[in-house]
Amino acid sequence: MKTLWLSALILASPLAGCNVPDDDEKLAQDLNVNSRYTVENVRISGQKLKLKISDHLRSELDRIVGQKLDDSKIKRLAERIQTELAAVRVDVKIVKGDVPDHVVVNFEVSPSRKLPFDTNVTRFQYNSKEGWTGEGAVSTTVHGNGFTFGLLSDGDTSVERFAGLRAKYERLNVGTQRLKFSFEFDSYHEQWNRSTLLEASPLDIYRARQTFTPEATLLILPSLEWSFGVSFARLQVPVAGASTTSKTESSNAVVNTLRYHQRWGSENDDQDQDVQASYDLAAGTGVLQSDLAYTRHLARARYAFRRGHSHVEIGFLAGRINGNAPLYDRFVLGTSETLRGWSKFDLDPLGGSHVVHGSIDYRYRIFQIFYDTGAIWDNPQEREQKQSVGVGVSKEFKKECFQLAVAFPLRAGRADPVFYAGMNF
Amino acid sequence: MRTIKSWWLILAFLSGFALAMFAEELVLTWRDDRLLFSAPHVHFISGKPLDLLHNAAPVPFDFQLTLSSGTRTHEFRKIQDRFVISYDLWQEQFRVVKTLSPQRRADHLTSAAAEAWCWQQISDQMSDGLHVLGGTEPFWARVDIRAEDGKDGPLFGRSLTEAGISLTSLIELFSRPPQSQQSHWGPYEAGPFTLDELKRAPRRGS
Repeated sequence: MKTLWLSALILASPLAGCNVPDDDEKLAQDLNVNSRYTVENVRISGQKLKLKISDHLRSELDRIVGQKLDDSKIKRLAERIQTELAAVRVDVKIVKGDVPDHVVVNFEVSPSRKLPFDTNVTRFQYNSKEGWTGEGAVSTTVHGNGFTFGLLSDGDTSVERFAGLRAKYERLNVGTQRLKFSFEFDSYHEQWNRSTLLEASPLDIYRARQTFTPEATLLILPSLEWSFGVSFARLQVPVAGASTTSKTESSNAVVNTLRYHQRWGSENDDQDQDVQASYDLAAGTGVLQSDLAYTRHLARARYAFRRGHSHVEIGFLAGRINGNAPLYDRFVLGTSETLRGWSKFDLDPLGGSHVVHGSIDYRYRIFQIFYDTGAIWDNPQEREQKQSVGVGVSKEFKKECFQLAVAFPLRAGRADPVFYAGMNF
Repeated sequence: MRTIKSWWLILAFLSGFALAMFAEELVLTWRDDRLLFSAPHVHFISGKPLDLLHNAAPVPFDFQLTLSSGTRTHEFRKIQDRFVISYDLWQEQFRVVKTLSPQRRADHLTSAAAEAWCWQQISDQMSDGLHVLGGTEPFWARVDIRAEDGKDGPLFGRSLTEAGISLTSLIELFSRPPQSQQSHWGPYEAGPFTLDELKRAPRRGS
């Protein structure tokens, strides 16, 4: 009997794994009688979930429409949906389509067992000239309503150092999955640099500010969205000569943002590309009882390309303010993202009404070099191009990016480097 | 009183007979010089695998058939095979593909015909080596069926082409107990039989 058993094994063993890839593909098609049918549509249960997956995955899902049903592709997509949404499981249900010989693929996502609260440190950095900047937030979603509460102290992005809290409510689906609504409340206390205080009019300096921003976001295309709303800001301006009393000024503006984001490839591919662009328009007007009337335009673009371990990233921004904008809305260069190595107070202690900036970063594995150039000005005669270079190391760990860099302003005379360390800046 | 006793006896006999017939899961018959295995009461195209099939997922069914001769514990011959069944959403018929060599395929089947086709294939395979068995030698049959529909089942586990053609993977699979979420049938056992006995009787079960 053992002889027979061994014979059976020996005779059958060449059959194991004898198929070449083409045979495998043909066999896979033979195995499922439905592989001759064409995919008519792809759906994800709970359409709000479709908004949470990446644009790239969403476009891959759309790409199988019109193709023949392929089990292996559907399996890979289900696994990627499961990973991106941290879902317990993703079931695939395939049903007849409306058109003969067509099928509809449904991905049914079981909700995540994750804790309802998501806590994260969104930014944490040290700048050897400006000190610490940190931001953390707790967020949760209940029945399609998102709540976020955060604390921050930011000495980087504006001419002021502002510290306080940020609270946001978001309704992820307002009648349609393409429209969401949010309401944000920010309350900050300000600290000012000496050079800003020396240059600014006392009426421009405020002690605290609260901002209420109701906003709606419309998904025009999978890669294009438009946000529009109103920003109501109340500024506490100290009364001249009095240290404790203050008056309240308003800076109310209509705000609009058009965002574009497209990605080709993924981190699993040999190469991938990512394009992000946005245009912001804010208009402070007397119609909204604003004490400050101004319009602010800001266009930003970023292109990233990766092949293997090499990453190249090119960034550009340009902005212009007409009228009298509050200091927190004025443009700043010399931050951890722009003209790295320069001090923002050396460039313009009040911030500028015009700005142009470009940067290029190259990274190989963890090593990074970058070059920034830009100009900030109020009057055309003040316009002067500045440049800086830097080197550093950065390492992505899960979703966080840790970075250590030193940047030098390119100018005649003494080179005064600035050191940066931290995550997500 | 005598009449009542007779009725009880007849009822007891019929109940026992019906129970015996119903319990006859694995049936062996001799037809056209071949030993045919079947299980008329076992419908493996049902339950969770059928739900998967109706979702257009191909479901692999693994069969292991063992014959013991002389004594119940003496293994005479064991064969494994994998049948991948899929359900045509538009034509509402089944396709079965026998993935181990010789690979074969049958289309446009009802669920009963698909099950019967699997039994036919596995019977043919077992019959090929049966001439070694003596006509009067007692033997026992045992069958085990498993669907790959657990958490590592279709669409989420090994690709069907990887899992579908390897005999060694099937041997390994049957050496482990079925997973808790996996649909399985059996093992069903029948015997003892002799070939001569089966050849004489047009149909015989355990």
